[in-house]
Amino acid sequence: MVFPTLDFVLFFTAVLGLNLALFAWNGWRKGMLLAASYWFYAAWDLRFLALMTGVILLAWLGGLPGRRKATALRTLCIAGLLGCLAFFKYFNFFLLSFSNLLGDAGLSRDFSWAQVVLPVGISFYVFQGISYIVDCARGDCAERRNPFDVALYVSFFPQLVAGPIVRAADFLPQLDRPERPDAAMRGMAVALILAGMVKKLVIANYIAVLLVDPVYTDPASQAAPQALAAMLGYAVQIYCDFSGYSDIAIGVALLLGYRFNANFNQPYRAASFREFWQRWHISLSTWIRDYLYIPLGGNKGGKGRQAVTLLVVMGLAGLWHGAAWTFVLWGLAHGALVAVERLTGQHRATGARALRIVVVFALVTLLWLPFRAHDLDQVGQMLAALTRPASDYAVPLHGFALMLITAGLALNALPLSWFTRSGQALARVAPEVQALALAAGLIFCFAMAQEGVAPFIYFQF
Amino acid sequence: MARNLRFFLTLSAALVLLWAFSGERIVDWAFELPLPDALMDPLLDAVFWGKDLKAAMGLPDLFGALRDTLHRLAGL
Repeated sequence: MVFPTLDFVLFFTAVLGLNLALFAWNGWRKGMLLAASYWFYAAWDLRFLALMTGVILLAWLGGLPGRRKATALRTLCIAGLLGCLAFFKYFNFFLLSFSNLLGDAGLSRDFSWAQVVLPVGISFYVFQGISYIVDCARGDCAERRNPFDVALYVSFFPQLVAGPIVRAADFLPQLDRPERPDAAMRGMAVALILAGMVKKLVIANYIAVLLVDPVYTDPASQAAPQALAAMLGYAVQIYCDFSGYSDIAIGVALLLGYRFNANFNQPYRAASFREFWQRWHISLSTWIRDYLYIPLGGNKGGKGRQAVTLLVVMGLAGLWHGAAWTFVLWGLAHGALVAVERLTGQHRATGARALRIVVVFALVTLLWLPFRAHDLDQVGQMLAALTRPASDYAVPLHGFALMLITAGLALNALPLSWFTRSGQALARVAPEVQALALAAGLIFCFAMAQEGVAPFIYFQF
Repeated sequence: MARNLRFFLTLSAALVLLWAFSGERIVDWAFELPLPDALMDPLLDAVFWGKDLKAAMGLPDLFGALRDTLHRLAGL
């Protein structure tokens, strides 16, 4: 079940009604939200429920020691969570590498029977489990004796499959003191859900179908205009796809009375790579900063040590996205650029901001190439296409796709205050008008959308 | 609380209207639900009852018309 579908709209409307009916009984309300979250996840694949429950139990057990000094239980639970993630995400990669090695030695074997299905959202809910254990150990949040609270924190359906990665210290206190959605929360929620639906159903999906997917399917037949348009298109597609999902997740949670932090802040207005990572997938960047970069030394030590730490951390961040060298290359390249900025002091530069924004955007767009490509050969073919002035077999450039790229970039460039004002304007109208605005917007997006459901890019991570 | 209830009721009513003026789409969607047979059978009965009711009332597929118009305008 994915957000921009009629299934989800009906599911969510039912949950919204039950949430309202059970508001005075917080225990029952939490139980209903937990059951709804399990239902939501079961709609993907019933088998994944056992895995998610295992992750929840490990997180709950690991949090039990609270602020006590390092305990074997905590270490075991974190190791168990990382082991789960490593097995499900990377087993197939090692299996394929092993199979290729055997093939090279003339001992080919078919290992397709041993392949593991990647459970949707595992990278996100494992990170939340680790966040809970570490936050309890640091005293940032109180450990929970009740495993159902931890279960709801990990599995809460708005953020379950693709984030934002919510911190235990932010979310658990909200479970104890539920907030009744007021006009401002409803107004902002409607604005966020509609913005997310337009970004995903109209902009991201059509750019993918009309431009990016056809070009990446056959890069050897493309010429420079197609390759350039597809690279630019993918920069807009992935921004609208992922920030659209985050917008819907935050809006849906708001309507239920829970607040999540923003996950995107106009990333393509960044004037440095450091700033880009402060604006892109903020919940992952801050997770990596707090649970990986700082424990590994962070800004301590000499510049050389900091640069190495950055490379290691960003390489791991690339690997988090998937078991492929293309992701590692993408992460290392970003790490190298952040490190170079720090070594040269460029991240503190203030002049010529517009020029620096253009340069950072161009490099970020170039680096999406290995991120989108299936392998390094495809990266090479796309780069070769950039040098080809024309091709008889190139994909025709669709005017609507080019218009959507412009619209996506304009959405990224709009000042945040403009969006906040839209939410505030919706907060001033009657609840009936808010609901009608949401329904009308949804009908427009569903009518505009293609047939079928295109999954969000980040579901595969 | 009353305002949240009004929001919920209006949204629900809008979804009923969407169902009423969206042709066969809800029928197609119902078949894709991941439900066990015990729940699926009564749901499908209800969906087909609703479909017959819509046919008897002669409600137009306004959603389909909106969709065709938008797609034509976008050159899709």
